[in-house]
Amino acid sequence: MDVETYLVYVVMPIICLSMIIVLARLIKGPQIVDRVIALDLLITIGVGFIAVFSIITNNYNFLDVAMILALIAFLSTVAFAYYLYKSKKND
Amino acid sequence: MLQNFLLNILLTLVWVALTGELNYTNFGFGFTVGFLLLWFLNRRRTSNHDYFLRVPKIFAFMFNFLYDMIRANIEVTIDVITPNYNMKPGIVKYEMDAKSDFEITMLANMIALTPGTVVIDISKDKRYMFIHAMYLKDIEGFKRNLKDRTEKKLLEIIR
Amino acid sequence: MTDILIMILSTLGALFILVASVGIYKMPDFYSRLSVTIKAATLGIGAILIASALFFAEFSVTTKTISIIFFLFLTAPVAGYLIGKVAYVNGTKLWKHSIIDEMKDDPDSFCTQVKEKEEEVLPKSESKK
Repeated sequence: MDVETYLVYVVMPIICLSMIIVLARLIKGPQIVDRVIALDLLITIGVGFIAVFSIITNNYNFLDVAMILALIAFLSTVAFAYYLYKSKKND
Repeated sequence: MLQNFLLNILLTLVWVALTGELNYTNFGFGFTVGFLLLWFLNRRRTSNHDYFLRVPKIFAFMFNFLYDMIRANIEVTIDVITPNYNMKPGIVKYEMDAKSDFEITMLANMIALTPGTVVIDISKDKRYMFIHAMYLKDIEGFKRNLKDRTEKKLLEIIR
Repeated sequence: MTDILIMILSTLGALFILVASVGIYKMPDFYSRLSVTIKAATLGIGAILIASALFFAEFSVTTKTISIIFFLFLTAPVAGYLIGKVAYVNGTKLWKHSIIDEMKDDPDSFCTQVKEKEEEVLPKSESKK
């Protein structure tokens, strides 16, 4: 069995399924902090998705995208936390 | 300490340059060879032994931490898969021995990476840490376990 | 041999990610969601990235992969700490069955200090009006 075939038919569906479940929490989340961590997890799963995709297409340049995405996930979470803190303070 | 580390790095670079293969396996092998060589040369000078005790401790700590992480992950996995909750969450006030900012940061990262525990807050005078734990069977046991298994070993390496 | 290792690592990583996402959907309160998601996802991503490093087996790719893993392990706890603290300041409740909360009304805590400050500020502004 080929590695690419295995990744396409087993690993990729699991990752997509977990992305859908996280999306459900992102829509449902009762408070805004729940949505923020769901978004953070969604981007982190996206990094894994890109890594698997780079194996399937046999092109390692996609890993650069994964690196930038990991950076942006952290920045967005920090920015959201700062925004929520400030908006609480100014109430 | 620092002198030995720099010598070890220099020996690694010399090994890589001489063998001419630029990959991580070769780096690791060169580092091991340099470490063993320096250890052999310094075996009589007891004042210089700090570095040679510290490097094995760092590797032992890393493997220990990885083991802890995987075991706690399995615990959380069981709780997620089974339909009812068997957790007892709560926020615990923990007095830490770590003093400087760097030590506190490393300790907080270690605590946050073991599943089931999250650092929520650190007091102003940097003496207490507020930890949200998911499996609090007994509180004193949790604190003792944290102090003995994680914090003491971490401080032994960093200090 | 390498193929089997890649398959095992990527499957393990995908399962960790699945556990994290089921955890974020199923857990009853914010703090347990936070503590389930960050680490399981980080471990899963680490396994998948190691698998991709093994697949390409090239020096630059391995460096890139190690830098991504290092970065994730460094930043995920910081982000979790920040968002947890902000949630506590904003008044997110603990789970109703939680057994202890030593942070509530504790004078050392930063969050209670913020609340006390607000209570000090509020009466003054009302008196000005």
